[in-house]
Amino acid sequence: MVSCKKYLETTPKGQFLLSNYYSTKAQAFAGVVACYNVLPYNYYAYLVALNGASDDSYTGGGNSGDQSGMQAFNNYPLINSGSGTADVFWYSLYNGVANTNVIIHALPSVPALPTDSLNRYMGESKFFRAYYYFDLVRLFKNIPLILEPLTTGNAYTQLQVAPSAIYAQIEDDLKAAIPGLPPTVPAGENGRVTQGTARALLGKVYLYEQKWTLAAEQLTQVNGTPGGVSQYGYKLLPNYADIFALNNKFSSESIYEVGQSNVVANFSNNYTQYIGPRGSTVPFWYTGGYGFNPITPDLVNLMKSDPRYPYTMINMDSLAKATKTSYQPSFQNTGYFTRKYAPITTEHTTFGWGNNFIIIRLADTYLMEAEALVQGGGDKQRAQALLDAVRARVKLPSIPASLTNIYTERRLELAQEGNRWFDLVRTGQAATALAGKGFKAGLNEILPIPQHDLNNTKLKQNPGYR
Amino acid sequence: MKYKPLLLKIMRITFLQSILVFSIMGSVYANGVKAQAVLDTKISIKETDSQLRLVLQKLGKEYQIEFVYSPDIINEKLVVNVDMRRKKLSDVLRKILQPLNLSFDMVGDVIVIRNFNGDPENVPFSSTTWSSSEAQANQSERIIPVEAQVVITGKVTDEKGEAIPGVTVRHKETGKAQATDVNGEYTMVLPEAAGTLSFSFLGYQTKDVVIGSDRSINITLVAVNGNLNEVVVVGYGTQKRSEIAGAISSVKASDMKDQQITRIDDALQGRVPGVSVVQSSGAPGSGPSIHIRGVTSINNSDPLYVIDGVVVDNGGIDNINPSDIASIDVLKDAAAAIYGSRSSAGVILITTKKGKPGAPVLTYDGNYGLQNPIHKVQLTNAAQYTTLRNEAVTNDGGTAPFANPSGYGTGTNWQNVIFGKNVPIQNHNITVSGGSDKSTYYTSFGYLDQQGIILPSIANYKRANFTINTSSKIVNWLTIGENLSMDYGKSQLSLNANGSNNSGPLTSALMLDPLTPVVVTDINAQPNAAVYNNPNYAPYLAYDPQGHPYGISNYVQNAASNPLAYVQNQQGYSWQTNIFGNVFVELRPIAGLTIRSQISTKVAYYGTRSFTPLYFLSLGDNNLTINHQYEESDRNITINWDNTVNYARSFGLHKFTLLAGTNIQNEGGHGLNGNFYGEPVTSFSQASPNFSIADINKIANGNDAQPYRLASVFGRLIYDYDQKYLLNVTVRRDGSSKFGTNNIYGVFPSAEAGYVISREKFFPRDNFVDFLKIRGSYGVLGNERPLGTFAYTTTIGGGRNAIFGDNGVALGSNPNGLANPDLRWEQVKMSDIGFDAIIFKDFNISFDAYHKVNSGMLDNPQLPSYVGATADPSVNVGDMLNKGLELSVNYNQKIGQVHLNAGGNIAYNQNKITSLTRYKTYGAIGGGSNLEIQRTTVGQPYQEFYGYQELGVFRSQGEINAYKNSSGGLIQPNAKPGDFKWADLNSDGTINTDDRKFLGQSTAPYSYGINLSATYKQFDLKVFGQGVWGNMIAQDYRRLDYPGSNYQIAAVNSWTPTNSNSNYPRLTDNDPNGNFKNFSNFYLQSGAYFRIKTFQLGYTLPEELIKRANMKKVRIYLSVNNLATITKYNGYDPEISGGIDYAVYPQARTFILGLNVSL
Repeated sequence: MVSCKKYLETTPKGQFLLSNYYSTKAQAFAGVVACYNVLPYNYYAYLVALNGASDDSYTGGGNSGDQSGMQAFNNYPLINSGSGTADVFWYSLYNGVANTNVIIHALPSVPALPTDSLNRYMGESKFFRAYYYFDLVRLFKNIPLILEPLTTGNAYTQLQVAPSAIYAQIEDDLKAAIPGLPPTVPAGENGRVTQGTARALLGKVYLYEQKWTLAAEQLTQVNGTPGGVSQYGYKLLPNYADIFALNNKFSSESIYEVGQSNVVANFSNNYTQYIGPRGSTVPFWYTGGYGFNPITPDLVNLMKSDPRYPYTMINMDSLAKATKTSYQPSFQNTGYFTRKYAPITTEHTTFGWGNNFIIIRLADTYLMEAEALVQGGGDKQRAQALLDAVRARVKLPSIPASLTNIYTERRLELAQEGNRWFDLVRTGQAATALAGKGFKAGLNEILPIPQHDLNNTKLKQNPGYR
Repeated sequence: MKYKPLLLKIMRITFLQSILVFSIMGSVYANGVKAQAVLDTKISIKETDSQLRLVLQKLGKEYQIEFVYSPDIINEKLVVNVDMRRKKLSDVLRKILQPLNLSFDMVGDVIVIRNFNGDPENVPFSSTTWSSSEAQANQSERIIPVEAQVVITGKVTDEKGEAIPGVTVRHKETGKAQATDVNGEYTMVLPEAAGTLSFSFLGYQTKDVVIGSDRSINITLVAVNGNLNEVVVVGYGTQKRSEIAGAISSVKASDMKDQQITRIDDALQGRVPGVSVVQSSGAPGSGPSIHIRGVTSINNSDPLYVIDGVVVDNGGIDNINPSDIASIDVLKDAAAAIYGSRSSAGVILITTKKGKPGAPVLTYDGNYGLQNPIHKVQLTNAAQYTTLRNEAVTNDGGTAPFANPSGYGTGTNWQNVIFGKNVPIQNHNITVSGGSDKSTYYTSFGYLDQQGIILPSIANYKRANFTINTSSKIVNWLTIGENLSMDYGKSQLSLNANGSNNSGPLTSALMLDPLTPVVVTDINAQPNAAVYNNPNYAPYLAYDPQGHPYGISNYVQNAASNPLAYVQNQQGYSWQTNIFGNVFVELRPIAGLTIRSQISTKVAYYGTRSFTPLYFLSLGDNNLTINHQYEESDRNITINWDNTVNYARSFGLHKFTLLAGTNIQNEGGHGLNGNFYGEPVTSFSQASPNFSIADINKIANGNDAQPYRLASVFGRLIYDYDQKYLLNVTVRRDGSSKFGTNNIYGVFPSAEAGYVISREKFFPRDNFVDFLKIRGSYGVLGNERPLGTFAYTTTIGGGRNAIFGDNGVALGSNPNGLANPDLRWEQVKMSDIGFDAIIFKDFNISFDAYHKVNSGMLDNPQLPSYVGATADPSVNVGDMLNKGLELSVNYNQKIGQVHLNAGGNIAYNQNKITSLTRYKTYGAIGGGSNLEIQRTTVGQPYQEFYGYQELGVFRSQGEINAYKNSSGGLIQPNAKPGDFKWADLNSDGTINTDDRKFLGQSTAPYSYGINLSATYKQFDLKVFGQGVWGNMIAQDYRRLDYPGSNYQIAAVNSWTPTNSNSNYPRLTDNDPNGNFKNFSNFYLQSGAYFRIKTFQLGYTLPEELIKRANMKKVRIYLSVNNLATITKYNGYDPEISGGIDYAVYPQARTFILGLNVSL
């Protein structure tokens, strides 16, 4: 019977068993790579929904029912448990957390793993655990803190913890990550987390916690001398148009960038597909898509005279006229479409589009540091210099580094990059700015916990949601 | 060495003892086993010059055994010298007897000592009276006094002269009885040559013979009417119908040969009570869904198929040519337990035809048929359609879009465009078979070519089969043989299956408006002329041979497109080649013992070739960017190795068959596919991967099937006493690579018992009941097939990749989910009681009642998503109950020159879910329009219809105002006259999703079949019909998301202020009251139907006419498939599986002309 039992012991093809995995450096690295895997597939949904949730653009799309979960983000009364995209945020972020927990748990016992590899892998994994928890706590606030792989035994019994406990863990993870991470990476490793990436995120986290001094302290190390080259090699690009240019991936301004590709299957940028206008009949340089995230007249008016306007949006109506073509105005059409991540016709392949997502860039950390300095009573001159550097790059004159000016600068500089909604909520401007979309103060600052995770668990719904 | 055969017999006995363990039946076989066991008893003996007689007497006394011999051969002169220690009695006897030129044989309970002079088979019992020399005064009373004994021998055969083993031979006067041996022979030792011997055997008329002077009495028994003598395949063996105690139904080749079926599973439809065969599509080559005794599981409820003893994959029987089938046996109850962990949904055993000894026989069976649609759905014509559209739009507050509806006339009838007329089907089969008594062969070739009735130009299925098998008896104890079949099948893609829900040509024909012309001759007269004229689309429109574009609807798009344009873009086919073969060796070292080893493989090659050109069907369905060729090629292989030892033997009236066996199975496979974009061609016929295109436009994928292995041991005891008490006990232990770490092996026992009460002495003779068997069975069956490979553990999944640098792929891996080491098969406990009877000589009746509980059904309870697992684990949760009744009646009679055979069967099955996991939301099963149509809930049948209850139409505002809740508010404040009044089922004063209820079963609880065949002289007539009732069908033909879709004719009667008595609600696209959006009883119709599947008239040419041409048989026939269907259902075809009719490819009515020839 022993031989019979052996006969029945099969090994899977094209897969390993967890029981004997994580036993080589390559396998450990594969586990680290998996931590990176959440954003390439899901970041488009954050952009569509959160841009649509802000005052910079609408959700748009084919009709009012197209991607109903995303539609709810610009029609706040529709946001409710089970409304789709909020659920996607929850499960993709917790999937990310689980990926990091698995490898953080496994790394210490990987045999013959060199210490520098161990430290770097641990740093990358902890960076991502912090990243995912930061999004989770910002979006859902009352969440369970899971730091070990769960089993069928404890899967249903997790409890929500105070947001401060989550923030404390995020800080711990980032602080633990920084020393093991390399200051810079060779070109072939572009996209991997560096010390600068982790510091930028830590600074951002402190900013959200309103720990102004700590925030400025971290961001200073990222930014260096305003307008100069920082210790990590970061430097503002001289030309604003180059930031999202396809031939300029992983530029000196990019602090955290998610790799996408139009020559590798499954890595196309969906956001690019989403924002193209519908049914544009003759494909010109800017090709067709699903018609999402049309720009609000509010932002159009604000930016009309800004030098960054042509690199932020395109006026589809005038373009169509000029090229003697047409497009199908879709839901919430304003005639203005997103230029960043633009679907450039010539860049399209059978795999789709290859625009990388830029999640944190230097202009953002400049403005965050300026804000932290102003808020925390720090170095005013440095704050001014940081703001000036961002404006000088697009040939705009200096304006006083007031909080209002910094906020406005953030909106203009970072339009359609996914920051606006968080900024509005964080700075308490959301209720006013988003009143037209039905935003309710005290409710819509956070999202409902998905009903799926309330069933048979110990989680409680966020207040105000049913 | 003439004594060899006898010696061999003795040796057989000892040989047997060494391989089979008899102890388990000790008490049952007291007598027979005693004699056996005694021969094996180890004894020590020391005799010097002792008289043989006295030695035998001593041994007889000591071991309670009777020796029979003639004083002629054993006299006082014979002396024995022996000194043996711890030797078997048989060896001792041989040692003693051989030097004296004597031998011994066990006959019944006694040991007969014989002389070797002359033929040992005949001599001892021919005429001499045998007796022991001493009076047996000291023997126990069991031992018959041997003085004046008479030995009567003989052989029992059937009408064909074949031996019948197991016939009870009873001496009426003394009651002494025994059964004939495997050669049909018996030996009775009687006190005197007087009285009556009664020969009785199940399935044969009992015969009494008065003993006369003849000591050899050979008997021929005549079979009774009915199926009692039918050989039934029971899995790793066969049994006679009369002797089985389980619920096993059979279909024989003779039943099938008159039905022109293209697949063998169709042969089961309506033939076997409790086996539901529902055509899921009438498309050529498509298979039915088969459930034995209801839906067994929410997972896999497909029966297990076993072909010639080889378990084949699910659905792996497409390749079998129906004309090669000798019989199909269906194990419906605990009898299936011999197949262990895959048996829960029943087992279908298919036996293919083999050659028979005799001169070569060539047969040709061929037919040619013309297929036509049975029924078309009545839709509105152009004038009616425009009227209704005006109504719908104005009801929603819009402006009527069509100015003068009556001016549109009849318009296009799209159904006439898609349905073919007199669509051909042909089927040809040639077999040659024959052999000698040493070796037989069978070979056949079959060819089927069927076109579909929908768009026959591209809907077709072709299949060619080739089979050869031989069997050779090398020496009388060794037989080897093999069976090899190959087939090739080719099927047009997608059209055959009518695409997915609510798409494809049939759906297009139902939805397209009658205003759109089939072919546009004047583009500028079309309301959507801009589409035709658009320079971007024009090159990719479909054109008729005259160069006119096919019409594109202005009102209905996306999933609906002009079928003739659609045809031009459906380019490609799927193909399959199967090689199925086995070789076996069979040893019969001694009578009754069969050792068999069989290795079999099934190799399936299959794939797809297709091409998507640049095309424009509509704004919603076009490809304007790049053309695409797809090539796929896969191979699956299954290897089985089966070893069995079967031993059959009888002692007196005790008969038993013992089986022990092992099986190992190994399954695997792999496949590759490639995508080729942008070839410089425009059609499938030109497309080829040979074209040089950029590497980025070539995308390949591959797959390896996960390994799947099974290792099993099984055993079975079949026992009967006097064919009166029947017992069948089986056990199987299955090990499967799919089982969890804590459950590597599963044990599946079963027992069946039968009682042939009509063989009891007290059972009244000359009664109208000629035969009555009561039987019952219980067994534990398994269902491992829903288990995924490695579902019990946590695997590492790849593909969690990232891009580093410029397009550099870093490969990421990660655990897939949580482990469940307790994972195991679903366990089904099956009980059955029933009876088989023959009454009034000619009626065969069979009845069964069963109760089947599936516990531990597999499902995937949902983990909270914060766990972050990519998949929910498989866990054994959920129970389901099926209980039912089955009855079949068959009548067989010859009245004058008319031979009549009529039969019918009816079955009832009630399904109920008894438990489901709370960690999962069961609910929505969307239909084509994304409505929740069915629901699976505890306490209800699987997938029952679930929706609102309409209470008719509000005829006036007054009726709306009168429909109030307890607080005086209107229950439907937004309703308008002509809207449905919904039942407020929970009485909360509003209508919402809580006001839904279960509306009816989607699977028919009742099913029945009838068949009638009659022959008169050279003519024969066959009628076969089948039907169901008790189920509902949800008709989901009209897609609500395409408001411009055509209407069924009933909509003409929709409510309007001037047609205010109608119960058909007012038409509306916005549908604020949910008249159409809410799934309700409005959509449901009874699914009951009765269908004449076959009506056939045949004529066999008189023999004298064909004899001159050396032909054996020539028959021509005219047959109609699906001649008539009686149903109230107004859709295409009430025979659909799953209960939701989203325009399923309907079955055809086929007129067939056929020819059978035998040479």
